[in-house]
Amino acid sequence: MTQPDQQPIISISHIAKVYEMGDEQVHALRDVSLTIGANEYIALMGPSGSGKSTLMNMLGCLDTPSSGTYLFNGENVSDLNDDELAEIRNREIGFVFQTFNLLPRATALQNVELPLVYAGIAKAKRIEMAEQSLTHVGLDDRMDHKPNELSGGQRQRVAIARALVTNPSIILADEPTGNLDSKTGQDIMNLFNELWRAGNTVILVTHEEDIARHAHRIVRMRDGLIESDEANTKPLT
Amino acid sequence: MNVSESIWIALDAVRSQKMRSSLTLLSIGIGVFAIIASTGITGTLQNALTGQLADLGENSFLIQRTPTIQFGNSWRKYRKRPNISLEQANEFKERMTLTNLISVSNTSPGFTIKSGLESTNPDVSLIGIDEMYFLVNAPMLRDGRPVTEQDVALISNVALVGTDVVKSLFSDGKSLGRSITIKNQEFTIVGELEPKGGVLGQSQDNRVLVPISVYVKYYTPWWDASVDISVKSIAKEAQPATMDEAIGAMRLIRECKPWDENNFELDGNEAIGGQFANLSVAILAVAWISGIGALAAAGIGIMNMMLVSVQERTREIGVRKALGAKRKWIVRQFLVESVTLCQLGGLTGVIGGIGTTWLVSYYLQQSMPNLQFEIPWFAVVFSVVVCTMIGIGFGLYPAYKAAGLDPIEALRHE
Ligand SMILES: Nc1ncnc2c1ncn2[C@@H]1O[C@H](COP(=O)(O)OP(=O)(O)O)[C@@H](O)[C@H]1O
Ligand SMILES: [Mg+2]
Repeated sequence: MTQPDQQPIISISHIAKVYEMGDEQVHALRDVSLTIGANEYIALMGPSGSGKSTLMNMLGCLDTPSSGTYLFNGENVSDLNDDELAEIRNREIGFVFQTFNLLPRATALQNVELPLVYAGIAKAKRIEMAEQSLTHVGLDDRMDHKPNELSGGQRQRVAIARALVTNPSIILADEPTGNLDSKTGQDIMNLFNELWRAGNTVILVTHEEDIARHAHRIVRMRDGLIESDEANTKPLT
Repeated sequence: MNVSESIWIALDAVRSQKMRSSLTLLSIGIGVFAIIASTGITGTLQNALTGQLADLGENSFLIQRTPTIQFGNSWRKYRKRPNISLEQANEFKERMTLTNLISVSNTSPGFTIKSGLESTNPDVSLIGIDEMYFLVNAPMLRDGRPVTEQDVALISNVALVGTDVVKSLFSDGKSLGRSITIKNQEFTIVGELEPKGGVLGQSQDNRVLVPISVYVKYYTPWWDASVDISVKSIAKEAQPATMDEAIGAMRLIRECKPWDENNFELDGNEAIGGQFANLSVAILAVAWISGIGALAAAGIGIMNMMLVSVQERTREIGVRKALGAKRKWIVRQFLVESVTLCQLGGLTGVIGGIGTTWLVSYYLQQSMPNLQFEIPWFAVVFSVVVCTMIGIGFGLYPAYKAAGLDPIEALRHE
């Protein structure tokens, strides 16, 4: 829920995203406005093709809107160039993907180090921070393992450690439990709950009600529009 | 991570694309090899020749069984030529009327000279000479006396030494009257040569001179039992006539029938230098042009490998961009990878080229004692620089292609 006494982290107003497919125009987002404050825990729901991922990419500064404005911590990111967007992603956003997206040749530690490399942090400091982050997600004994030596749940933990390591303003997770069995999915959700309790801002995309019930605010989308935006009065957190 | 990681990825790419990468790396290797080996070998020969030409004074020419410079299959043609014996050389001296400045000598490399407990490296040139040597050839005496007609006639064990040999054997620098041993034969030093310094980094002072009769008796190597004759004309204008007379005399002595070709070689100073200069320019031009051609062709291969690498790692690029990699990071990563690939190919060429230069020098040393192996550093540096430039030049397009990928598209890539 928006906390009115604080400046919101994310503030988008009347955002649209149009993809040109030959002669055809696909309106992935039509007119979306949303404000997200610090330490919110939001689930983004909706049927396939409703624009969830497009909105996530926009929030994550991977993409810029066709029209409308996007303020991130008060800064207008609508017309930043590639490298400026990369810098915001690096500093402010932690991504968790459905397919983990770890580098297969790198160890868990090296994977978690990667965002710090791009932040220009010195080697010794990087290792210290990455170790801390991995310990935080309960993988202190798996630092030197390659992704193929880890289970699905462990891989997602590495990905979460990687998202956390730069201490970002928000954590964006697109179907983070989509590739996990329900037991492991529960463990991962517990980890997100923990992150939220520790003060992080969490936004996750899901189509499973069970998963969404952990969040404190549920935003439902349909055809590129926000259908409903309600507080979850009884979160499973 | 970063640089060392990119290097590992490059090595990994070589492993996973064995066929394509080995062909590409091979053609880089061949290009570099051609450049280094040709430069190394012609450079080494040039050194040897410069030494030889320096010994042969002005207005002089050389009569040998085979030419100084032989290439291709010509050795077959020369193989059957009879040796020039010491007797033939002496007869030649008697028959020549236009000049009496005629010297008989022969040289072979790789001797160890001993004196008491001291000994030189096994790289001293041993030269058999006669009493005319110092009049016809360039070397000068610093101290003592030359080899005399009597020394040659009596087969006396006397020796003249170069300053390098003196330095390695006698700590007090005094050599006259002392004795040295060369393969079980004991010699008395009667003279010391004026130091000549190095020609192109190769010492001219690491030599011992003994009477030609002694040389022929004890040290004639199996591969070169023929003596060389140096002839100096009275004046520059007399050179052509002197050469004509020399050819006539040699043909007579060596019993050439009127229809036979000469069974010996007569080379003037300029002739040898000129032949070699032309030849080495031709060799270098062909080798460098084809070397650079091979490298350019390899560049296309490198670009291909890198495009495959970008294609295969599209998703990884997407992840890196999502995590905040700016364009320059992605460009750098792929450039390091392509430069690594090029250097890997180049390294094989450098090793092969230096190895071949060494082998050829080793082999040629048997007949050209002045020859000394030298790493063609210029060509090595040139190759490393060219490999880096190719890696960057041909890696640039794939690298920029990678850096320009849309992160969302890249992340969706299977
Ligand atoms: N790169 C693209 N090019 C064209 N159309 C796209 C592209 N990305 C998404 N779309 C379209 O935009 C709409 C919303 O997609 P998306 O945001 O992925 O939905 P969701 O994640 O809710 O399933 C869909 O109709 C999809 O086909
Ligand atoms: Mg989606």
